[in-house]
Amino acid sequence: MDATGEIRNPNSEIPKKSEARMTKEKHQISPALGIRHSGLGLPSDFGFRISFVTLCFCGQILLYGDMNHQTRVYENVFEMMSSEENPTPLVRINRLNPTPEFQLYAKLEWMNPFGSVKDRPAWEMLRDLEERGEVGGARGIVEPTSGNTGISLAAMAKTRGYHMRAVVPNKVPLEKKVLLKIAGADLDVISDELCPAPGLGEGSINLAKTHAKASSHKYALPNQYENEKNVEAHFRTTGPEIWRQTEGKITHLFVSLGTCGTVSGTSKFLRSKNPGVKVIAVQPTEGHDVPGLRNVAQLGISKLFDSSLIDDILEVEFRLAYTRALELCQNEGLMAGPSSGLILEGALEIISRDKKGFGVMIFPDSIFKYTSNMMKHIPGLGAGTSA
Amino acid sequence: MARYANPEVLVETDWVLANMGKPGIKLVEIDVDTKAYDAGHIPGAVGFNWQTQLQDQVRRDIISKDAFEKLVSGAGISPNDTVILYGDNNNWFAAYGFWLFKIYGHKDVRLMNGGRVKWLNEKDKPLTTDVPKAAPVSYKAAAVNLELRAMLPQVFDAQKGGWNLVDVRSPDEFTGKVIAPPGMTETAQRGGHIPGAKSIPWSTAVNQDGTFKSPDELQSIYIQQKGVDPKKDTIAYCRIGERSSHTWFVLKYLLGLNNVKNYDGSWTEYGNVVAVPIEKG
Repeated sequence: MDATGEIRNPNSEIPKKSEARMTKEKHQISPALGIRHSGLGLPSDFGFRISFVTLCFCGQILLYGDMNHQTRVYENVFEMMSSEENPTPLVRINRLNPTPEFQLYAKLEWMNPFGSVKDRPAWEMLRDLEERGEVGGARGIVEPTSGNTGISLAAMAKTRGYHMRAVVPNKVPLEKKVLLKIAGADLDVISDELCPAPGLGEGSINLAKTHAKASSHKYALPNQYENEKNVEAHFRTTGPEIWRQTEGKITHLFVSLGTCGTVSGTSKFLRSKNPGVKVIAVQPTEGHDVPGLRNVAQLGISKLFDSSLIDDILEVEFRLAYTRALELCQNEGLMAGPSSGLILEGALEIISRDKKGFGVMIFPDSIFKYTSNMMKHIPGLGAGTSA
Repeated sequence: MARYANPEVLVETDWVLANMGKPGIKLVEIDVDTKAYDAGHIPGAVGFNWQTQLQDQVRRDIISKDAFEKLVSGAGISPNDTVILYGDNNNWFAAYGFWLFKIYGHKDVRLMNGGRVKWLNEKDKPLTTDVPKAAPVSYKAAAVNLELRAMLPQVFDAQKGGWNLVDVRSPDEFTGKVIAPPGMTETAQRGGHIPGAKSIPWSTAVNQDGTFKSPDELQSIYIQQKGVDPKKDTIAYCRIGERSSHTWFVLKYLLGLNNVKNYDGSWTEYGNVVAVPIEKG
């Protein structure tokens, strides 16, 4: 952030000499380790260059990129994964925020390589399974998903060479179901919960658990609802990114609730830096139709929900998710999905209460997967779309 | 603590683990989600599909006695076997199957307490995708007990008084805010409830782990709090008769009420009938 209080892109900073030297030293030793260079003759001291090693399940060096996040030339898609050095963008909300004393930024998680915030936990969970030798060969993964985690996992798994089965509730928009198949997932579509039931869990979670238990030779279960790696992903990446991007000025974090990995991991990190950061979770009204999100009444299924990491839980009429998403598209040029719209509505409520601050909203994904839902909930949107 | 009126109709998951595979013990899984059995089931369990095997495929009705005998014979179940039913959604359709087995006079039929989800979440309980090869038998139904079933004319009679009418659907279905849960294909022309019915959602009978609440708790909920009169005859209904089977089981077998009927026509019949009285709100 510069003297005017505005945020600069940290990637535009020239690295310090010591950083550049360290990078060069890594380059010098890299041939001995079999590091592949891009061969594009890019200046090594321009922008950030990060050497990156990941061991795959069989112990071979699978990825060893020499990444330049400034030029954005990568050896494989996994080098694009977000990190403190390669954060997803923060973009200021201008026209829709009526209070200049409260700066409000959106963190655009659809800029992750597979299109949503779920790239982070998917990658963390998958690497953990690989490192423990749980996947590979004939053994793939099965996961209950409302779409985004499944799309990330399917694309990653297929790229790594193993199969993925996604179990999704019927309510998930058609676009996401088709995207799951495009990404290479085998798809199980099941009925949504039919009637409130204590402890019942959800059909998709139970069916995925059934596959993992009955066919354990075929499936490992990452289980984003219970896997601590989901939280760790955000503690390791989302939190540090925000802290660095805002230069520690963040006062309010606005998130939605689903598996609760985002809120738990990010909140834990930011509060370790500044216990005064307020964490506001925004939830849709009961009986909502915002895929991926959970009303508090539905949160029993997520073992990652920790109310001590949240200051306020706001309930927002779920249809506002769609109208606010439309406003973001048409006023800010941010092609944000309905969960982002819901978060914006919650943030504006808090801004009118707290008046001053520096807020960051985590926008989980873009509008492109929700055109059918938008037509359903925005009257007139479908008019004039056919000859 | 009081005991259930008929404790023998419930078995625990540990009992099933200890007794599965023994002669005379037959496991049957019946799920709302008809994909669940294929994904994995208790070793040795056969699967019944409620849509294609427990319903008449031409008219709207339960399967006939002949069809029931054929189904059960094919599953290798004899009249003297102990049949253990279980399924997803806290045994909704397992309870429906229990009701059907009782209509056709099977003597020893029981529900696995907690259903499929409890088994699934217990680490020592195995699942398999292997489908058992049952040796067919010749099953003859002992009786046809249609007094367990309420038909539309009895529902009209019940509105005149002297009956408990128990609506086990969700509060939004009862008030008429929604006609059916989202995404359901079986629905009605009108929302609301049968005049005089009490709203007691089926889920009030179960604990967080899916098992039935204690006899004292059930007594307190249904009799003291909700005002079900044990001296009266009772009709339970829902949308298509599966959730009401669950409550029918609770009222008849766990609380021991005398004359309890399941109205399987439920709201998809009543809410479609022309010129019948409906209450909303």
